[in-house]
Amino acid sequence: MTTDHDISSVRVRTLEHIVERGQTWERMAARYRVTNPVPPWKSSLDATCDALDEEGATLPLLTRRDDEDRMSREVYTSLPYPENQLVALAHSLVARNVVDEDELAARLEAVRARLDAAGA
Amino acid sequence: MAETDLDGSGHDTHQHAGTAPMVEEVTDFEVLEIALRELAIEKGLFTAEDHRRYTEHVEQLEPAAGSRFVAKAWVDPDFRRLALDDAIAASQEMGIDWLHPTGFGTPSDFTAFELLEDTPTLHHVIVCTLCSCYPRPMLGMSPEWYRTPNYRRRIVRWPRQVLAEFGLYLSEDVEVRVEDSNSKHRFMVLPVRPDGTEGWSEEQLAEIVTRDCLIGVALPKPGVTSNATRPLHPAIRPVTSD
Repeated sequence: MTTDHDISSVRVRTLEHIVERGQTWERMAARYRVTNPVPPWKSSLDATCDALDEEGATLPLLTRRDDEDRMSREVYTSLPYPENQLVALAHSLVARNVVDEDELAARLEAVRARLDAAGA
Repeated sequence: MAETDLDGSGHDTHQHAGTAPMVEEVTDFEVLEIALRELAIEKGLFTAEDHRRYTEHVEQLEPAAGSRFVAKAWVDPDFRRLALDDAIAASQEMGIDWLHPTGFGTPSDFTAFELLEDTPTLHHVIVCTLCSCYPRPMLGMSPEWYRTPNYRRRIVRWPRQVLAEFGLYLSEDVEVRVEDSNSKHRFMVLPVRPDGTEGWSEEQLAEIVTRDCLIGVALPKPGVTSNATRPLHPAIRPVTSD
């Protein structure tokens, strides 16, 4: 993997769909009158980034951060932070062939089903 | 993927008096974070134990550590000397171990830390021009603006202009030094103790040492105990220089 490969032209429709639905923390927190400034998944995302950085080879730290800057600026411009950080990471992993998009879509569906069942 | 009912017709949004309610709806972003993590673990990029350890580490980080550190340096000359000579050792004296959680720090918290001493004629401000390196054991997670290319590019070129945007106007007789953090070296500012704080306790002093003071985009001031809210600027290519 190179660190200068521009992945902004790679379309990831699974992520585009998530962006369109717009369930950002800002919006959800206002809706449910929650005052936490950041979403509850933020520390887990930070831990995932730290763990990837320690492993170091799959998505080197500077590649990850360069991708995040570029994706936030050029592709996921409507997303606030930290949603843009999360979606940019997903985009990097798909565009750099670490995670297959179909595999991601299937896992999203499975996780969604699990979580929705827990709240039923 | 199942569609979540955004109208809330299938969800109970009852309020709990006196407590912050939960978001009683599974969001796509929550699902995405879990899905990515699970796939990464299954592919062997890291282990579930790695992730648990880092999550615990991240969740205990907070800027109050840096505030206490500076307040102690203001009132204790021996600690101040130690902090300036060996900031890692001074951190340990306060119970902050930069070697956590792996025994050698993390890729984001490398164990070289230096305190930048301000004087009445010298002001420091920190940045990471490459990404968003930040003294996390002292300051917690970096604010959004610190991560933006706009701040990272402009603070090194036009520090006075950018500091003015934060509301910090420095006179020309104050030298400004911008310190660039990197994966091997982290910095934090030791501001000048402000007038009007004579006789204050460490706890009182720590309250005015905000995160922004420790980055160097604000100065401690009696009565100011929180960071200012500031707008985010998109990254643009500057066309003129000053």
